[in-house]
Amino acid sequence: MVQDLCMFSGWDEDTEIVWFKISYPREKGNLAAILNFLEEHGVDIKIGHIDNTETEAEGKYSIFSKIKKEMDLEKLAQEMKAFGPVKEIEYGISKYKMIYAVDFTMNVIGVRAIIARAKTLADVIKTFYDNAPHAEGLLIQSGLKGGIEAAKYFKSIMAIDLKNAPDMIAELYRAVGWGLLDIKCDCESMTGRVIVKDSFIADVWGEADQPVCAFMSGYLAGYFTEVAGRTIQVREVSCKAAGHEVCEHIISPAPDSAKLEHLMRGERA
Amino acid sequence: MIKQPNVIFGNSEVLVSMGRKGELFGFFYPRRDHAQHVEESLACIHTGEKLLWTNSNEWNATQSYIEDTNIVSTKLYHASGIRISIIDMVHPEVPVLIRRFKLQAQNGVSGKFYYYSNFNVGETSKKNSGFCDSEARLIAQYWQDYYLGLYTLPEFTEWQVGKAMDTIWWTNSKYDMEDGKLQKNKEDIGNINNAAGWELEIKPGKAEEFIIFLGAAPTRPLLYKRLRELSKQSLDYLFEKTREFWIVWLSKKKVLKLPGLDAYGSLRQELFNSYNRALLNLYLLNDHKYGSFVAAPEFDSNFEKCGGYGFCWNRDSSELVLALKHSGYPEYCEKFFKWCIGAQMADGSWFQRYWLDGSTAPSWGNFEYSTQIDETGSTLYAMDVYYRILEGLKKVDFLEEVWISVLRGAEYLMKRSKSGLHESCMDLWETYYGTFTYTNAAVYAGLMGAAHLAEENKESGLAKRWRKRANLVKQATLERFWLKEGYFAKGIINDRLDKTLDASSIGTYIPFGMLSPKDPLERDMILFTIENIQKKLSSPVNDYYGIRRYENDQYINGNPWIVTTLWLSEALFALALELPYEGGLDPHAKTRKRFTEQGIKFLKWALAGTTSAGLLPEQVDKSTGKPAWAIPLGWSCSLLLDNILLLDKLCRKTNGEKPES
Repeated sequence: MVQDLCMFSGWDEDTEIVWFKISYPREKGNLAAILNFLEEHGVDIKIGHIDNTETEAEGKYSIFSKIKKEMDLEKLAQEMKAFGPVKEIEYGISKYKMIYAVDFTMNVIGVRAIIARAKTLADVIKTFYDNAPHAEGLLIQSGLKGGIEAAKYFKSIMAIDLKNAPDMIAELYRAVGWGLLDIKCDCESMTGRVIVKDSFIADVWGEADQPVCAFMSGYLAGYFTEVAGRTIQVREVSCKAAGHEVCEHIISPAPDSAKLEHLMRGERA
Repeated sequence: MIKQPNVIFGNSEVLVSMGRKGELFGFFYPRRDHAQHVEESLACIHTGEKLLWTNSNEWNATQSYIEDTNIVSTKLYHASGIRISIIDMVHPEVPVLIRRFKLQAQNGVSGKFYYYSNFNVGETSKKNSGFCDSEARLIAQYWQDYYLGLYTLPEFTEWQVGKAMDTIWWTNSKYDMEDGKLQKNKEDIGNINNAAGWELEIKPGKAEEFIIFLGAAPTRPLLYKRLRELSKQSLDYLFEKTREFWIVWLSKKKVLKLPGLDAYGSLRQELFNSYNRALLNLYLLNDHKYGSFVAAPEFDSNFEKCGGYGFCWNRDSSELVLALKHSGYPEYCEKFFKWCIGAQMADGSWFQRYWLDGSTAPSWGNFEYSTQIDETGSTLYAMDVYYRILEGLKKVDFLEEVWISVLRGAEYLMKRSKSGLHESCMDLWETYYGTFTYTNAAVYAGLMGAAHLAEENKESGLAKRWRKRANLVKQATLERFWLKEGYFAKGIINDRLDKTLDASSIGTYIPFGMLSPKDPLERDMILFTIENIQKKLSSPVNDYYGIRRYENDQYINGNPWIVTTLWLSEALFALALELPYEGGLDPHAKTRKRFTEQGIKFLKWALAGTTSAGLLPEQVDKSTGKPAWAIPLGWSCSLLLDNILLLDKLCRKTNGEKPES
């Protein structure tokens, strides 16, 4: 699943990384014609992004391309602008050959999002574990907020219930690169488990004695709690960082009458 | 996270710091420096749909003190038409905070009223124990012999005691409030929080009232008794009792007149108010048992961005007690100097800073090269100033009491100033190691003060010895540090003369009097110093200029400071007062007027940098003009008092009144 997004494209003295933002009328054949045009003019497309969500009438195609330094960019842009299917064109050179989202900023489920290396976040989490008392609780409660907000956002734009909620969160996790979820959960009893493959935390953590994905447990707990309308507990029982094959989180309703100290040790009510 | 208060209040055992929306930042009991028991404590409304935390951005707030008291009024307005009026006070005799919340809603509200607290009793989140005694209707939390308790009127109908930061997040009281129903867990241990809840039904045009008593005690029975007894008294009675306490305390102050300030609009009234506020603040910063003062209520106990302020520095406190004495409160001097005797180090010096009980505080001044010699100079100087004000038997008793301490302190200064300049140590700003103009002036003043006390004690040999050294320090400072550019160098750092202009070089005149305006040459030096400080260290904000500490100051963004600015105004007022008054066409009238006007501009600048409730910070943000750090700073308060008292004297003199004896 790992793509080299937003990275250096590699260093080549003879070429430049050039981005183009091309607006075009959303009519059949236009996008294909633009692609042909670019190919014929020796524009090597490294990554492209089509956005047809802003208006019904107009599409937007953003690309990062590798172009020989001797090519006259202004001339190419003029030719492109004069080309029938193209309405507007903007372009620029990525001086240090980084590929980025041409439209700054970007959003994920309704709020500003950023791209960060998993290691960066894992380092933040490690710093909590190393220095903050109650680090696990702190991470669970941090995740909890995000999970609740995600469920609220989904509720605001589409019908969500306990049946489709697992697939929705799995899609979100995949979209943002957090991991691949396999969720098995009984909607009635709200008991089940979540297998996380390629957890962004465990993957880059290194070796650990204990499970390290408490943030993810909290996120899932917040999500299911908000969807179910009752308090759901999610605990990570095995973790790739601790030597297990995958990360596994157990879903269960939070007990209402139990010795807290027992619960803390993972016992059920 | 670092939070700066907008107000502080309390009594002799409790110090509370609070944000401008009525959220508690600190609850110090039984000392001002320890222990700070509260992480969060505030009200919240559940509207039936969501929680409205009273410290959120959704509320507009105004906050002020009830005139001449340490009682706070906070008013919160929400766009939905909800209005909360809060009165906060600490009972003058017992360590109980009383909070009255009056709620109104234009369109009515049906939901819950919550009072949420995250206590760290004993200043720790570890090993706390909390419970709700549902029969006594009291929520309490304790650690060792610190008990904190919450009693309410009317009685709360639901509650939660849960884990504040744990994997079993659903017991967290903050989370538990989300659904508008508390779980009523009765007890828990560890890092815990709590919430009390009531049904809330406000009809348009009507009001609901809730009173929260937050008390402290060393035992559970005493906590219960205190809260029960207080809750029997009417709020009006408690309010009047508290108000009366502060008004009576304030009535001992030296009365200001400040005649002839009509041209400055409301300035006269502003000065009256800020004089009272500075006094009321200093009461709260003082430890009434030991006599020491915290520099400011602690706001960075983890030392995240600084070394913390909840400790006693002799430098600051020496100025505080003298300002209090001049303002009509001599008892603070007596207690503080007693504390000094007990806190003095084996070598005769005073340490960088102390806990209020006199034990050494966390410090970066543990060696001879890193200690701050000026603190010893300041203390001896202040002892002598106080002695000079005393009369009769009090004079004799005081000298008897402090003499050995003076002797040890002076000999320490002798040991550290053999060459004429003091040996390498840390500067007053705790930034550089070296030999400094300010510190030398403090050594001079300390030795001169000690010499005077020695003379009074019939120790003429010692007096002569200390005075001779003081003069040598002065001579060396003038020869080595005075620059042809017309100011003192900062000092010698890394064996090289550092020509950076430092505002503390005005210390050669104010407060230490090493330079005398009576000497024409020295008077010129004072004037040049003032001129250069204005020229090089002015920072334009709030319609005038504040004074930065020194060129290229990096601490908290290099803001202008209240202390440095008020040093300058104090110097200007003192210079104006030095000018002789001559009848007829007074040849000094123009100069006196110029000094006074300049001083008033700086004084007004300091007043513009207070919190909305009038608290003086250490610094003013150089971009926004808002109070920036360490609020309220006792040192700033003392300089404000000194300034206002000098201006009062100046105004009276200019107005033809005879000076007081």
